[in-house]
Amino acid sequence: MTRFTDERLSRRSLLQAGTALAAVPLFGLGAPQVMAQTQPRKATKVLDFETYADVAKAEQEGALVFYCHENEAGTAAIMEGFHKDFPKIKTSYVRAQTGALYNKIVSERSAGRFDVDVLQLSDIAPALDFQKKEGYAVYVGPESDAYKADFKSNPQGSFFWTGTTFAGIAYNNKKVSEAEAPKTWKDVLNPKWKGSISCKISSSGVQYVAWYMLRQMYGPEYWKEYAKLTPKAFDSRVQLYDRLAKGDDKVCSLAEYAGYSLYKEKTQDITMVMPPDGLPATPCVLGAVSKAPHPEASKLFMDWAMSKRGQAWYQNHPNLIYGSVRSDAPPMKTGAKLSDFKLLFPTDYDDYAKMRDTFTKEWNGMLGL
Amino acid sequence: MTQTVIAGRRFSAQAVAGVVVAIVAAVLVLYPVFFLLQAALDVGDPDVRPPTAYGFSNFGGLLQYPQIIFNTLGVSFVATALALVFGFALAWILTRTNVPGRRWLEPLMVVPFYLTPLLGALAWSMLGSQESGFINQFWRALGGTGYIIDANTAFGIAWVMAFFEGSVAFVMISAVMKSMDPSLEEASQVMGASRWRTMLRITLPLVIPGVLGAAIFVFAEMLGSFAAALVLGSPNRFYVVTTAIYQLTQQYPPKIPLAAAMGASLFIVMFLMLFVYRWIVTAGSYVTITGKAFRPRVNDVGRLRYVLLAFCLLYLFVAVVLPLATLIYASFQKLAVAFPAADNWTLNNYRTAMSMNAVRSALGNSLILGLATATIGVLLMTLLSWLIYRAKLPGSSIIEYVVMFPQAVPRLVFAFGIMWAWLVSPIPIYGTLWLLLIAYITVFLPLGIRTISGVMLQVDKSLEECAQMCGAPWGYRMRTVTVPLLWPGLIAAWLLLFIASIRELGASILLMGPHSKVITPSIVESWNATSSELTAAMALIQTAVVAVAVAILLALTRRVGGHTRME
Amino acid sequence: MPVPQNSTPSAATSGTHIAVENLQIHYGTVLAVRGVSFTVEQGEQLTLLGPSGCGKTTTLRAIAGLEKPTSGEIRIGGAPVYSSARKVNLPAENRGLSMVFQSYAIWPHMTVFENVAYGLRVRRESKAEIGTKVDRALDMVQMRPYRDRRASQLSGGQQQRVALARAFVFSPSVLLFDEPLSNLDAKLRGDMRIELRELQHRLGITSVYVTHDLEEALAMSDRIVVMRDGVIEQVGTPNEIYNLPRNAFVADFVGSANLINGRHRADLDTDGLVAIETAGGDIVYGSAYGRPVGDTATMSVRTVHFKFSTQRPAGERNVWPVKVDRMVFQGDFTQVHVTWSGQHLVIRCAALEPIEGAHDAFMSVDPRRVVLLEAEKADA
Repeated sequence: MTRFTDERLSRRSLLQAGTALAAVPLFGLGAPQVMAQTQPRKATKVLDFETYADVAKAEQEGALVFYCHENEAGTAAIMEGFHKDFPKIKTSYVRAQTGALYNKIVSERSAGRFDVDVLQLSDIAPALDFQKKEGYAVYVGPESDAYKADFKSNPQGSFFWTGTTFAGIAYNNKKVSEAEAPKTWKDVLNPKWKGSISCKISSSGVQYVAWYMLRQMYGPEYWKEYAKLTPKAFDSRVQLYDRLAKGDDKVCSLAEYAGYSLYKEKTQDITMVMPPDGLPATPCVLGAVSKAPHPEASKLFMDWAMSKRGQAWYQNHPNLIYGSVRSDAPPMKTGAKLSDFKLLFPTDYDDYAKMRDTFTKEWNGMLGL
Repeated sequence: MTQTVIAGRRFSAQAVAGVVVAIVAAVLVLYPVFFLLQAALDVGDPDVRPPTAYGFSNFGGLLQYPQIIFNTLGVSFVATALALVFGFALAWILTRTNVPGRRWLEPLMVVPFYLTPLLGALAWSMLGSQESGFINQFWRALGGTGYIIDANTAFGIAWVMAFFEGSVAFVMISAVMKSMDPSLEEASQVMGASRWRTMLRITLPLVIPGVLGAAIFVFAEMLGSFAAALVLGSPNRFYVVTTAIYQLTQQYPPKIPLAAAMGASLFIVMFLMLFVYRWIVTAGSYVTITGKAFRPRVNDVGRLRYVLLAFCLLYLFVAVVLPLATLIYASFQKLAVAFPAADNWTLNNYRTAMSMNAVRSALGNSLILGLATATIGVLLMTLLSWLIYRAKLPGSSIIEYVVMFPQAVPRLVFAFGIMWAWLVSPIPIYGTLWLLLIAYITVFLPLGIRTISGVMLQVDKSLEECAQMCGAPWGYRMRTVTVPLLWPGLIAAWLLLFIASIRELGASILLMGPHSKVITPSIVESWNATSSELTAAMALIQTAVVAVAVAILLALTRRVGGHTRME
Repeated sequence: MPVPQNSTPSAATSGTHIAVENLQIHYGTVLAVRGVSFTVEQGEQLTLLGPSGCGKTTTLRAIAGLEKPTSGEIRIGGAPVYSSARKVNLPAENRGLSMVFQSYAIWPHMTVFENVAYGLRVRRESKAEIGTKVDRALDMVQMRPYRDRRASQLSGGQQQRVALARAFVFSPSVLLFDEPLSNLDAKLRGDMRIELRELQHRLGITSVYVTHDLEEALAMSDRIVVMRDGVIEQVGTPNEIYNLPRNAFVADFVGSANLINGRHRADLDTDGLVAIETAGGDIVYGSAYGRPVGDTATMSVRTVHFKFSTQRPAGERNVWPVKVDRMVFQGDFTQVHVTWSGQHLVIRCAALEPIEGAHDAFMSVDPRRVVLLEAEKADA
């Protein structure tokens, strides 16, 4: 089991766990109206979860097509988990960054192509847009009740938070002593990190939420100061940790928990810091798509993903390590539960969606794009 | 005699074949180009297509990116200059001096081309990163401080590309040098000019059109190159037009019109360059290029030949051995470092690579696509080359411009046009391997036609005319004379297309569907999202496949080329 | 004149075989052939002669069907194979012709046998038939022993013979030759010239031959068409072309000639001869051969037709003293450069004893050998 190098901080996180989740926005608390759901049958129990899907029919459809923002290994891992449980359903996927993926699916649908069953995005803004475009199939499975309304679309049935990814700060402990290392988000702005600090590119959902939350907490000045450090931006968390482990960068200002635990197994040179001001977090939203070629299979997948079984898979696969927002979620592979961390979620998702363009421009500008 | 009637029909049969092929090519190229231009001029609601408003403001938006334009031109110039120096020096050494081992050195010089910029970039990112680069680690281990090389710079990108394009320049320039009448140089020497004076005053001016042609070709290729800039440039916030386009289209909301405008302006620049290239080739000493093959005159350079041999070997070492060794070394490590601990060695990267379903099916798909693209492509491109350069049908120069068009557009950008074009088409190929097949054939039209027509122009036209005079109808003489004579060239073109398809990146990255994954984007993806060690393993697996193909190429051309002498 | 032989059953035993009428051909934007008309008789060997770029090869290729003319008409055996008016353009493979190319165009990927058999295979003749015909053809060109060689292993002369056998093996109605001997060395060229001529006689095939070599044209043709800049300068038998050149171009191109300009002295014309007075005041008598005489005229005298002597020869007309500039010994003959009437002339005479120090001598010429040229058209 991996342990946080900074016990003190993690213990503090634990203490704040309760407040963290309580602080989660009252987003979409308008009574979740159940749409004209036509649930002709009663829920059937498969393995250890319940579904309204016709399992026999799903197996007859025999296939599931998945569009996912996650990296290749992660996407493959999700499909592997489902396929292991339902070997008769062949899985295939396309992975791309959220922006590219969303553009692809919208282009396809506008041309009348419906090849995909399930869509997972790392950013809630395009998900809301897709919901507005009636891109999601509305399906409220029996496992939905295990999720608070905050973690589901409004009205429910379009998408839900299949996991949460959140980020703190990490540094290479061979190059940076513990005393020198940044402890808070403000410490990141120290000019000594100029040229040796890393972050993600503007297409990243976590980076956006970090920008949004820290901007809210410390004002736009925060990122102006940050830009002066000439940070280097990368596509994925793995690259960030790879470079950190090899010493190409000293500090990573967007150290995702998921990647950290993966790299802990490879090297002891990385230390992760959980700033007491909180960890920006973004949901990975999963939803079945309307006019799907394999509707029963996609319902089955939705229920599987929502179930304890599916969530455990998401939480524990080394290439995923998603924190589950399921009320009764077990601890992650690392032993920690999502509720152990002080997570920072946006409160006003309309404003959040609106700011996306500003972020992209500002972030691109900072990176010289 | 009823010749008139029969003949009338025969003629139209040939014309119909020609027109059909020309139309196919035009559809392949112009249909996507239409959508591309539409996107570049789209200033309306980005979510609605066809566009609600048209205008040029997207092009105006480009001016916000002077740095990127400057970067692109800078890298392209440096890489072109380096590639020409390498290409010219190697071509001169191997065709004109008595350097030892010329016979086996010459085919080896083409190897960097088969290694791909992606492989080179991956290797040099491991060798030359400021901090973790092996070379810099050695430097510090030897007591140095800081770093001695930095691959994540404009020069690093140019460096990697120069080795790749250097092979191209070598092939082009040595072809010119071989086709030069040695008596022109001998005349100079007879008149008392020294060897160096002859080289400067006779050899150089004679090959300059060829060198200039190579320069423009390499420069145009550089403008559209993607992989090296992506792997080496982006970690250091260094963007060129293609990587900028990539980033702009990958983010949400995607800036497709801006990307399309960037692509469109790039192809204006490239078109100008191709125009100049054609002008030089036709106005210059084209005749000496396609004329007889001479036995090149060999200079005795004395002791210097060992220095020149060392130069060739050093080139091969830096361009081939070093990158390959680096990747092989890294692929067996958990975390690639210059001085690994004993427990850092692992076979896991290969195990993971081979077990990844995505990779296995992707490799299979790539092979299928390679076979199909090469086979169909050679057929189509032979017909097109014949139409353009031999049949002299009216409008053949227009067809030539059309089929050369994809050369002028980065494949990444062209892929957008292809995607939109085939999304809205009623033929249901979107998301299948067929789409990739069509895309590959389209984007490789210039490559294939250039290769095949090069061979075709070397074959004396009267060989075909003679068959015609013997009364052979079109199909018969294509089968018995044209194709057999072109055979070695066609095999070379086949393998070139095969290899190019397997390592295609720009178009594939966008057009892959859930059931049509291919290998190179998976490698780039792996570089983005998994460890560089696993990426090294994947790249090596792909290289091994390509290497087998090259071995077949060499074996086949040697066998077929044995008895064919064209005069 | 060769004896006309029937080689094409469809054509008449004698009469016109090929007719070219007002042929115009653009080569790119250049008008390479500007309205050429001529006919080739059955069994005749016609030669298109002219300097490079005169349009002779283009004309030949148009007859073959390898070049598409701009306008005009070409008929073979009475039937139009190309006609701009009637919109006919028969492709080359259906014209029933055959051709020998300048580059020989031997297919390097086939054996000698396969090369020669090609035209027969196209015509789907039986295997046995092909065997006999190819062997007979190879015999005729003395290439039978090389039957199974790969074509690329042959010398230039051998390739030439194979090309020839390949061209006539399938009994085409017309044989076209595009400078077939120009790539051979001088000795071989001489031999091949005779062989070709004999073969042509034996086969009795109508043929059109393109060359820029005068001797070749004179030795091999029944008739010669001299071309320049896309137009025909003169048509005639080798004898006519050589002895009665129509104008300065033909006179000069077809063998070396001395040109003499002068004012017509109609008052001195006698015995059917035409008299002109040169700028230097000398009177030259020549023959008009029915051509009209203008106020000024140009006469052509072949270098071999002048007589050169140290003693003044008998006779009044066309005898002049000359000043010898130099004498060049050239083996079979001696070339004497003289100054006469203010211009330089060249005289070739059978090898002479070198004349030491004698700078004054005499020159004479038979007035029948002094040929009046037609007035040059005024063109640029």
